[in-house]
Amino acid sequence: MLTKRLSLVQAVLMAMALVVVLFPVFWILMTAIKPPTDWNASPAIWFPSQPTLINFKTLFDPAAIREYGVGGVSQAATDAVFGSILASVTATAISVAIGLFSAIGISRYGNGSKSTPLVILSGRMFPPAAIAVPFVIMFSTIGLIDSFTGLIAIYVAVTLPFSTWMIKSFVDDLPREIEEAAMMDGRSRIGAHLTVTIPLIKGGLFATTMFVFILNWSEFMFALVLSYTNVSTIPVQLAKYVTATAGTLYGVQAALAVLAMVPLVIVGYLIQSHLARGMTFGAIKQ
Amino acid sequence: MNHSPSSDISAATSPQAQAATGRRPGTGIGKAMTIPGQVVSVLVLVLPLLVALYMSFTDWSPTRGSLFDASFVGFENYSELLVYDTRFLYAVLRTALISIICLSLEFAFGLGLAVLFMREFRGKSLLFSAFLTPMMILPVVVGYIFWMLFQSNGPINQILEFLFGAQACVEWFRSAPFAVTAVIITEVWHWTPLFFLILLSGLNSVPENPVRAAVILGASPRQVFWRVVLPMLKPVIIVAFVIRSMEIIKLFDEVFMLTRGGPGSSTETISLYIYKLAFNDFQLAYGAAAAFIVLIGSLVLVHMLLAPVRDQLLDGGR
Repeated sequence: MLTKRLSLVQAVLMAMALVVVLFPVFWILMTAIKPPTDWNASPAIWFPSQPTLINFKTLFDPAAIREYGVGGVSQAATDAVFGSILASVTATAISVAIGLFSAIGISRYGNGSKSTPLVILSGRMFPPAAIAVPFVIMFSTIGLIDSFTGLIAIYVAVTLPFSTWMIKSFVDDLPREIEEAAMMDGRSRIGAHLTVTIPLIKGGLFATTMFVFILNWSEFMFALVLSYTNVSTIPVQLAKYVTATAGTLYGVQAALAVLAMVPLVIVGYLIQSHLARGMTFGAIKQ
Repeated sequence: MNHSPSSDISAATSPQAQAATGRRPGTGIGKAMTIPGQVVSVLVLVLPLLVALYMSFTDWSPTRGSLFDASFVGFENYSELLVYDTRFLYAVLRTALISIICLSLEFAFGLGLAVLFMREFRGKSLLFSAFLTPMMILPVVVGYIFWMLFQSNGPINQILEFLFGAQACVEWFRSAPFAVTAVIITEVWHWTPLFFLILLSGLNSVPENPVRAAVILGASPRQVFWRVVLPMLKPVIIVAFVIRSMEIIKLFDEVFMLTRGGPGSSTETISLYIYKLAFNDFQLAYGAAAAFIVLIGSLVLVHMLLAPVRDQLLDGGR
């Protein structure tokens, strides 16, 4: 399109939009460094009177907050943080590994069947609350409830359509001739894929891994219904802080929220050119 | 669409091209490669779905022992839901209303912002990242942030008071219309960046020639945009709507953090209602039936939306 410079009115509009977009982020960052006296002040305090890291400290040592006269914080978030890392990293690795092979299989040898992808897409539409019900039943029968194995299995299954379809779109971008040339040189089909295809989609593989990690790290409902005492993740812990005995632990919650969102925002910026592709199952490639 | 350079949505493989290729060698290897994925899908998605389907025809609840001992009640759950359960009906209507309002606003804001980004200005790539930030934050955290912002002594009320005086302050979570508004604002803030991202990539790949031709023929910038550019964006717009509809039908995390469906059940979405049925009231069979009604409804809806762009979306660049 024909490019023009931004007019003054447009610049003002954009500045306003920017404020709206960034204000909530500013608010959570500020709340995370507020001392308990500022948490629920009325009217709300925009800039903490005495910036402190006590909220972050409390996440790993519930007793730390007592020096401010706040009692009753019984739960450490340590388990939740490690739970989130364990579940997301493992599930992401498995999902991408399985997705990689499915993607090459479908892209290079698929018979062009239209029904498989439709089934996958339809699966995405089913409310997770409803899939969670049979999971709870099945998992209690086979002893997988409240276990990381169970949670990881679900995460793999839920993100598999994304990893498969995103990787497939990268494989599709690769001309077949490159692999065929490798086969002429005497490599087997599998060998050609391992030594030619996979190295060439490295960037895409990285983007997919990060994208699937975002999905797993953000997941809430399955973790909520499938975890009691052994398993906890950050989103579940965040919800729990509302009902904790000490009332609402604004600052501590905010600290945990910041801890949860910082890795995602960093990862998100890293792969921002691939976000559209991930979100649209590879339909849009920019 | 086959020769269209107009969008980055890749053209579908034409049937002729497929026929010409025929059955390729190495099909067996291809099948083998997809086996792990299929096994996982069957074990962890199809099997639970079948269990849920069976369950939806029984009166099972966890207090009554094993699922296999539950008595078969036919379509009783379904008829109860569709005919008598007004709470379910309202949850469906509410989700539909929230979806329509959110998607319209997200589309409007996203398109506006994308159009601004077609202009030249400094710091473009930095601003681009900044505008994408909301969609990178996890839904639970977004719900939590806005829950704080909407507190009666929170910053949103402070700003309202500053602008319009004390009578403009609102108890956001105490009345149904305001609680729904809060949910919509949260959702729009969270997902407008996705529309922006998709529409901008669409706008960037609009070919220059038709635009130039229209300008030479004397079209005003406004006409060029509405008559030339926008029609070419249609497939991209539909993809954005389909993807977002699929997600917003399942709206749960943000509402759970913001209102837990309250006050009363006035912000209860379908997902939240099913969640409460299953995990607060332990009416698992009934909840499963509700889920299948929703599934069938959303399948029909999304496939209608998808019809014009199905090939582009599903073939993802062959």
